[in-house]
Amino acid sequence: MNKNIYAPNLAAVKKVRDEAEGIKTFTLEFEDREIKESFDYHSGQFVELSIFGVGEAPVSITSSPVNKGYLELSVAAVGKVTQALHLKKEGDVVGIRGPYGNGFPLAEVKGKNILFVGGGIGLAPLRSLINQMFAQRDDFAKISILYGARTLQLLCFVDDLEKWGGAKNSEVLLSVDVPDSKWKGNVGVVGTLLPKTDIDVKNTMAFVCGPPIMIHFIILDLLKMQFGGEQIITTMERRMECGLGKCGHCNIGGKYVCLDGPVFSYRQLRELGENI
Amino acid sequence: MKRILTTCEFCGCGCNFYLGVEDNRVVAIYPSVSHPVSQGRLCIKGWQGHEYIHSSERLTTPLIKEKDGFREASWDETYRVIADKFNQIRSQYGNDSIAVLSSAKCTNEENYLMQKFARACLGTNNVDHCARLCHASTVVGLAATLGSGAMTNSINEIEGADVIFIIGSNTTEQHPLIANRIIRAIERGAEVIVADPRKTQLAKLCSLHLMHKPGSDVALLNGMMSVIISEGLEDKEFIAERTEGFEGLKKAVADCTLERSSEIAGVPVESIIEAARIYAESKKSIIVYSMGITQHSTGVDNVMSCANLAMLTGNVGKEFTGVDPLRGQNNVQGACDMGALPNVFPGYQSVTDEKLRAKFEKAWGVNLPSQSGLTVVEMLSSVLEGKIKTMYIMGENPMVSDPDLNHVEECLKALDFLTVQDIFLTETASLADVVLPGVSFAEKDGTFTSTERRIQRVRKAIEPLGNSKPDWKIITDLSSRLGYTMEYDSPAEIMTEVVELTPIYGGISYERLEGEGLQWPCPTPDHPGTPYLHKGSFSRGLGKFSPVSYKPPMELPDVDYPFILTTGRISFHFHTGTMTRKDWALDRECPKGYVEVNSEDAKELGIRDGQMAKVISQRGEINLPLRSVDTIRRGVVFIPFHFAEAAANRLTAANLDPVAKIPEYKVCACRLERG
Amino acid sequence: MKILDKAKLSQFLEGLKPKYEVIAPLHEGKDILFGRLDSTKLAIDFVGKTRLSPKEYLFPQREVLFTFEENKKVEIKAYLDETKRVIWGIRPCDLHGIKILNMVYFSDYIDPYYQARSTNTLLLGLNCNEAEASCFCSSLGTGPFAREGFDLLFTDLGDTFLVEIGSKAGEMLIEEANLFIEAAEKDKEKAKMLESKSKQSFANQIDIKKVEGKLPDVLDNPLWAEEADKCFLCGACNFVCPACHCFNIEDIKVGQRTERVRYWDSCQLGGFTQMAAYNSRTAQVERLRQRIYHKFSYIPDRYNGQLGCTGCGRCIDVCLGEIDIAQILRKVANE
Repeated sequence: MNKNIYAPNLAAVKKVRDEAEGIKTFTLEFEDREIKESFDYHSGQFVELSIFGVGEAPVSITSSPVNKGYLELSVAAVGKVTQALHLKKEGDVVGIRGPYGNGFPLAEVKGKNILFVGGGIGLAPLRSLINQMFAQRDDFAKISILYGARTLQLLCFVDDLEKWGGAKNSEVLLSVDVPDSKWKGNVGVVGTLLPKTDIDVKNTMAFVCGPPIMIHFIILDLLKMQFGGEQIITTMERRMECGLGKCGHCNIGGKYVCLDGPVFSYRQLRELGENI
Repeated sequence: MKRILTTCEFCGCGCNFYLGVEDNRVVAIYPSVSHPVSQGRLCIKGWQGHEYIHSSERLTTPLIKEKDGFREASWDETYRVIADKFNQIRSQYGNDSIAVLSSAKCTNEENYLMQKFARACLGTNNVDHCARLCHASTVVGLAATLGSGAMTNSINEIEGADVIFIIGSNTTEQHPLIANRIIRAIERGAEVIVADPRKTQLAKLCSLHLMHKPGSDVALLNGMMSVIISEGLEDKEFIAERTEGFEGLKKAVADCTLERSSEIAGVPVESIIEAARIYAESKKSIIVYSMGITQHSTGVDNVMSCANLAMLTGNVGKEFTGVDPLRGQNNVQGACDMGALPNVFPGYQSVTDEKLRAKFEKAWGVNLPSQSGLTVVEMLSSVLEGKIKTMYIMGENPMVSDPDLNHVEECLKALDFLTVQDIFLTETASLADVVLPGVSFAEKDGTFTSTERRIQRVRKAIEPLGNSKPDWKIITDLSSRLGYTMEYDSPAEIMTEVVELTPIYGGISYERLEGEGLQWPCPTPDHPGTPYLHKGSFSRGLGKFSPVSYKPPMELPDVDYPFILTTGRISFHFHTGTMTRKDWALDRECPKGYVEVNSEDAKELGIRDGQMAKVISQRGEINLPLRSVDTIRRGVVFIPFHFAEAAANRLTAANLDPVAKIPEYKVCACRLERG
Repeated sequence: MKILDKAKLSQFLEGLKPKYEVIAPLHEGKDILFGRLDSTKLAIDFVGKTRLSPKEYLFPQREVLFTFEENKKVEIKAYLDETKRVIWGIRPCDLHGIKILNMVYFSDYIDPYYQARSTNTLLLGLNCNEAEASCFCSSLGTGPFAREGFDLLFTDLGDTFLVEIGSKAGEMLIEEANLFIEAAEKDKEKAKMLESKSKQSFANQIDIKKVEGKLPDVLDNPLWAEEADKCFLCGACNFVCPACHCFNIEDIKVGQRTERVRYWDSCQLGGFTQMAAYNSRTAQVERLRQRIYHKFSYIPDRYNGQLGCTGCGRCIDVCLGEIDIAQILRKVANE
């Protein structure tokens, strides 16, 4: 069925983890052995997840390409497809098409300091890249991960965060907008963490991912810090339905987000034309 | 692929298009360029609104309710159950203990049969349909003033008017093809005045928008008329030759000063003067109105005021002039024409008139009841009074469309026995004891009559789904089971019977309807049909000025319920959403209900755009997201009534016009809280 | 070039029937629609455009991509339409529309459904001797006579058709039919004269180079909002457009099966960009602007200057709000 670009490959749910409030992480394995073993992707790419009888939705891959044989998707139940996914249990079968999209630049940022700024479930695609970078740690200089969520219960990937914070020449700063009594850390939107760390702007690449409004304000903050447009990398959110540059829904300017994105530099976004 | 030309099943514009059919499935739509109204155009419902036909939720077999839910049954068993129940109830409680609701969505032939079934078979005049809820005031008001309750113009004439006064109609969303003509008139240089508490699309494009208070129409119209009379702009010749009762009108209008009109309507005096002058100074002025005029406890007064205004300026009875009530449903005009009303036979012939009744008794071979029957809202209340024991409802969903739904639910549940005939298990059908699966417009032949009185063919394109039957067949089957044999080979045969008894349809036949259909009155087989009404003389002879004075709505805001709730429709959904909410294209545009609130009001309420709000009235409360807009009067909120789970009608009241018995959907009092 | 007697057109098309499904413009009541050939209804002398272009034979209004049964194991059954087809009577604007669809459906990933239909369909064009009021193909260089994208191209010379060969497959049709004769010089001259006369019949003229130059600077011009105020959100402009190719995919339950179906979609509808949590185009002004920019700026950016509009004018004919794309383009050019 691979030749038909619209037909999904079957994948079984191997594990379901409650990642955060209303967010679950699914580990999926392709049923076809050949596909399972050969499936490869870049961090920052996404798949089209099929729930048969409900529909398809684009979901960014949160597992890292260094992990072979399985795929991890972290998903909040916000729409028809994701709500249906949340009802799936181990052994249930879903459909996967992909991987699609352009992925994050990796080779191009070797040797640089990397600043990750993530909000809520936006950490999911960044996690794929972060783990990939940690797998070749010496290729990169300082890694700073600034992450925030609206509440403590909405913080994702707490295990990874702990692991990353403990690694050498790396730091993890967390923030919560609306704290409860348990929270002892920084209070406020994730942008309030920016002044709390040393950033050598000239030699740093920033990767920003989260709700559109958060991306908007973080980019403004980074520009104020003299980051250039090519130094800010983010992901665009559009209705990517086919993932193949055909259905037209994700068209923006002369680009299709599913083909030319979803990863764009801020400079590229400015050139898209339509007010983004 | 087969292409079958048919008439649209949604609104009263009556567009035509071809259904593309493959393997008994509708797979494509082709607009008809040659059609006089649609001219190769369609709204989104016409283009992509037909997927509900093949929904997996279609009723495909009769259902009988047992203790733990519905079970499938054969037609034979189901008919037997219904017949037994009807016979038992009639013998115990009399013929008038049964009430029948016909359907403005079904064909003329089916509506004719339904009222014949109620009258000739069941022996009751308790037959009505949803026109009661929308244009009952038109039928009464225009019949009283002009003699006939239908749109006086043809849709295409509207493009040729020099002034179009739109009051209480969101034409773009409800009658897109008519709004298209209005836009073309604007491009030609016509002036358009819009009177609406909301800034609709046409209000944005028009020359003058009067954002008047809901329920203040008589004051506004009397105000305009007072300007016309005081400035000598009335058409004296027309008044003298073609009307009666002018002195009475003059007096009633004089009692309402311009300042008072302005105060009641919430519209500046200058605007009323300007509107009056624009309208009166043109010899080609058309009034277009819809629910904003009719759905009031003063609905009949509102309609008569519109007719008064038109007659005052001689703007009716000539081409490019007229009074145009825009009928909403695809066949509500036809359902009325076919007599699915408690007080008239087909053709608006009174049931209480001995001679007319004798004609029908002869044709149908039985004695017929001589007293007018109950109207829709009265039928429901009569259930609680013990007068109505059973109802047979076809293609109507009172559980979402009627006012004061908590009360409606109580009434329907109090019935001894409820039979519902529909294509889906609607909110009303869910309460039934027996459900009969009818078919969509694509699965049967028949005719619809559009708002411009155009009778057009509906042509069968696919076979009925599953074990469903065309509605006309179900009615005749049931009637025969009950001892009154009705047998027709085809809907065409039914129409030949209609034609013999209905003078305004006198010249109709399926052969003559090929092509563009015919506009009634069409009294003889060689009559070409009638583009506009009241040429030369009114249907009643002289037009009758019917003076009315302003009466406030029956429920006004107060300290506890400070907002006016006005209900209405949007372009993506049709009425109770039974069909449109099962169509992906329409559902995607608007999957949920909402309450539209002026942004200043929303700020004061402390509810942000998109946040949940609770809307409460004396009758109930609903929860739905708030939409903050700048296109509605302060103090007024708007809720589209299509969404059963957040049903606007939980809040509305059965405040009826005393004559027309139409509910005041456009005004009731509510308050809003954070949801 | 060849000549075919007009009286023999029906015979030629009927002769193709054993091997091909033959599609041609047909009289349906008072309308003309493309459909399966019925010679009694063949609209040989039809003038102007059909309301819907024949693009639906390559890109249907509703197309089942595949079905799945969910009883025990999910089984996916795909449906590719490989019927051999010939479509006669395609206007140059519609031929150009197909060229644009080819561009989208054959680039990056190849769409197997479109490919199946496209590779099995022969396109027989029909030049326009006269423009309709809404036509502006001459301003875009896409008509009234076609230059490419056809297997055969017919020009109505009065009693005969001049037939230009565009491909080997088209040539084979002529050879197998045995009804065509060589064209004479005077026939070719007549065709040239008809083309020139046709070009002069256009009321709608646009300086398209000027428009393309101005577009990047007028994104925030008030004209977009003025036009958007008229839009009825009916989607018709996209449905009748021979170059529009966007679609929506839905899972539709049919008894025990589910069909994954693709339907025509319209960028003028709010739902087009609706995601679970937010909508990237919430105002009609953004959507209307997208339609124009997509056709005259974004598609050319992506596809080597190729415009996404064929100048057919159908969107003008079908708009409930009387929005006129040619008028909009002239406004842009004059900014």
